Amino acid sequence: MNVNTPALTRITEYHGITEYMLESNGLKVLLERRPAAPVIAFMVVYRVGSRNEAVGHTGATHLLEHMLFKGTPTFNKRTGTQIASVLQRQGAVYNADTWYDRTRYYEVLPSDQLELAIHLEADRMRNSFIADEDRQSEMVVVRNEMERGENDPGRILDERVWAAAFREHPYHHPTIGWRSDVEGMPTSRLKEFYDTFYHPNNATAILVGDFEEDEALDLIAKHFGRIPPSPAPIPPMYTVEPPQQGEHRFILRRAGQLGLVEIAWHIPEASHPDTPAITVFDQILSAGISSRLYQAIVETQIAVSAGAQSFQFRDPGLFTIEMMLPPGGSHETAERAALDVIEKMKTEDVSESELKKAKSQIVAQLIFLRDSPFGVVNALGEIEAVADWKFYVDLPALVEHVTPEDLRRIANEYFTADNRTVGYFIPKEEEG
Amino acid sequence: MHITSFEARTARFCYPNGLTLLVLENHANPTASIYGFLKAGSYFNPPNRRGLSSLTASMLTKGTTRRSKLEIAEALESVGARISFNSNTFTVSMLGQSLSRDFGLLIETLAEELREPAFPDEELAKLRHRTIAAIRQEEEETRSRAVERLTQLIYTPDNPYYQLCADDLIAQIESISVEELGDFYAARYGAASMLLVIVGDVDTDEVHNRIGELVGDWTGADAGVINLPITPLQTAPMRAVVPMKDKANADVVIGHASQLRRSNPDYLPAQIANRALGQSTLSSRLGLKIRDDMGLTYGINSTFSESGLGDGPFMISVTVAPENIDLVVKTTVDIVEEFIEEGIREDELRDEQTSWIGGFKIGLATNAGIAGQIASAEMHALGVKHLDAFPTLLNNVTKAEVDAAIRHYFHPRRATTVIAGTLD
Repeated sequence: MNVNTPALTRITEYHGITEYMLESNGLKVLLERRPAAPVIAFMVVYRVGSRNEAVGHTGATHLLEHMLFKGTPTFNKRTGTQIASVLQRQGAVYNADTWYDRTRYYEVLPSDQLELAIHLEADRMRNSFIADEDRQSEMVVVRNEMERGENDPGRILDERVWAAAFREHPYHHPTIGWRSDVEGMPTSRLKEFYDTFYHPNNATAILVGDFEEDEALDLIAKHFGRIPPSPAPIPPMYTVEPPQQGEHRFILRRAGQLGLVEIAWHIPEASHPDTPAITVFDQILSAGISSRLYQAIVETQIAVSAGAQSFQFRDPGLFTIEMMLPPGGSHETAERAALDVIEKMKTEDVSESELKKAKSQIVAQLIFLRDSPFGVVNALGEIEAVADWKFYVDLPALVEHVTPEDLRRIANEYFTADNRTVGYFIPKEEEG
Repeated sequence: MHITSFEARTARFCYPNGLTLLVLENHANPTASIYGFLKAGSYFNPPNRRGLSSLTASMLTKGTTRRSKLEIAEALESVGARISFNSNTFTVSMLGQSLSRDFGLLIETLAEELREPAFPDEELAKLRHRTIAAIRQEEEETRSRAVERLTQLIYTPDNPYYQLCADDLIAQIESISVEELGDFYAARYGAASMLLVIVGDVDTDEVHNRIGELVGDWTGADAGVINLPITPLQTAPMRAVVPMKDKANADVVIGHASQLRRSNPDYLPAQIANRALGQSTLSSRLGLKIRDDMGLTYGINSTFSESGLGDGPFMISVTVAPENIDLVVKTTVDIVEEFIEEGIREDELRDEQTSWIGGFKIGLATNAGIAGQIASAEMHALGVKHLDAFPTLLNNVTKAEVDAAIRHYFHPRRATTVIAGTLD
């Protein structure tokens, strides 16, 4: 490493992934060399998402993410070096996405373009134009993105389920924001968000693929090293959702073809010791044709699809079951069938073979992820947003320890009627 | 991995029954991918039997003469492996993925599903039920409805790119029987038109021998002939509206018959032209103006949809608030006209060349990506060497060739415009 570039401290190495810290500003850096193909994947994850928003500025994080494509003094449209164009020119797979707990910017590039990825992400961390003129046109783009979402009954139902399940915690509002907030948000508010949260000490940079470690560290130090840490501590989000005291239930009626049912239960945060068991629980319920929901609900033609998802977030999230009904299908029948599947998990032990299948699937999925540099970056980025990256490495071993008793215990502890939210989407045409 | 050519690293085996197998060893991760196809796509559907090829392909995973659907699913899912069959316009593609230690199970199951499908009546009833629901669901999507209408306006009903409306498609699907599936299977499924590409942590000789044992004695149907006339460009523009309820966002599709197939000598220049015009919302001409400058859309893209063995439509599709439709359509047409008049800029051409080559390399970073590219090269008779030659071929494309392609393939004043959404 050059003597005059800021130093990186090696924190730990764990299963081929090395963690560094930039001494000058606290940026966390994760590196994994995978030289199988001449490609690198680079991502910067900021620990800011819609979880950090409050009334009046919902959607700020997501709108700001759009603004970070609008350029900097170095990369901009005027000089023909607009961020998207520069990346597109190299054939990059690139994008950014915002969710409850995080905002991520990433690019997959041929490995000879490593410096471009690092330079660009370091540059937009602090130098982005957040101009009012850009905000106005980008607001219309985001509003169109929102309207596209509103066309989809499944997405609206899901949004309403989260809003009903969370009363106080900001998981209550969708990441894209409430329409009037997005329309009315002043540029100054976005700038304030940028200046509060976009700092190296609130981010993790992740690099996976075909690179030489010394060169990568030099480039990271060169481009990120001179960025100062945040002038003030990153403000914590301290709102806690109180325990739900009784079922929430609602009906959404609008034009559509097929009825939908979504059921949700609060589950603990990702770093909770029950997360591996909930992951296995999810797998048993919803992975494949042989899963319990498929067999009980799709095979019997009660619904045409039935899925489950465990949203394991930085704060307690939700476990959801979503079902799409056939034309003329009964919402009540589908709900009852799904709840019967859950009840069985409370009263009967899962067989050893079923448990073994779920664990094998989870381990295989983690190995498949490793087929591509982006698969690894994506997984590490998601875990960094909600817990510590080492959880990604530890998950197979943690899952291995899950027992039938664990599954029965979590079914009884979390999947209760009082902890439940149920939403029906009823197409208007179905009404008599 | 990137030192030796793909051609040198890929072993090719041609079995006496016509099956071609290509194997590329990649030991970077303990996984393996299969990508294969045979000629049994929707082009081969008998008249008024839309959905037959698709139902037949889907039914391959619904049980064999030896095992039920659930028994097969249990076996694959227990090791996290998966197999799927998908019917396309001309081919049925097969995708498989497993950890390398379970690769034997994967190819044995694939062979069993291909050679011994049972087509159980009750499974067809369930599949029909889900297929109809999926069609109903797609009916809710503004973009699907706009594309469907566009294809009806530019293709004749017997063309495989003509999409039936939901009610007609459902009526045909409801009447398809297991006997018809069996007949279609017997007429179209066989080793003669089949290609299998296997990439990953496998041993070439072992795979060659095992595939020989599993499908070497399968004959089945003949190779099938594809003879689809090129659809002429329409002479005058058309406009249609698909009214839908409760849609905050509208989708607009502007398109025409493309007349572009993979075998056209100017295929690469034409695709470069399209990339510069509208492939990326964030960096192509259409997106830079209509999204980035004017903020009128979340997404605008142009594409030669299915320019492969046949000539699918050329389409520009844009998502837009209903009040902005006219402005977006007018601006879009103006941009295409300007592109035709000016041609591609030298810097745009260079950018699209590096972009496509970079993207091509990135696509080859996974087993599934390599398998897909090899299969595609084989399907179009380009051979595995195409993966090695592609960057040079692309770099050799000139501005004059692209400009000629722009003039030949883009016709905004003769294009059909379809709008789907809530417009009152």
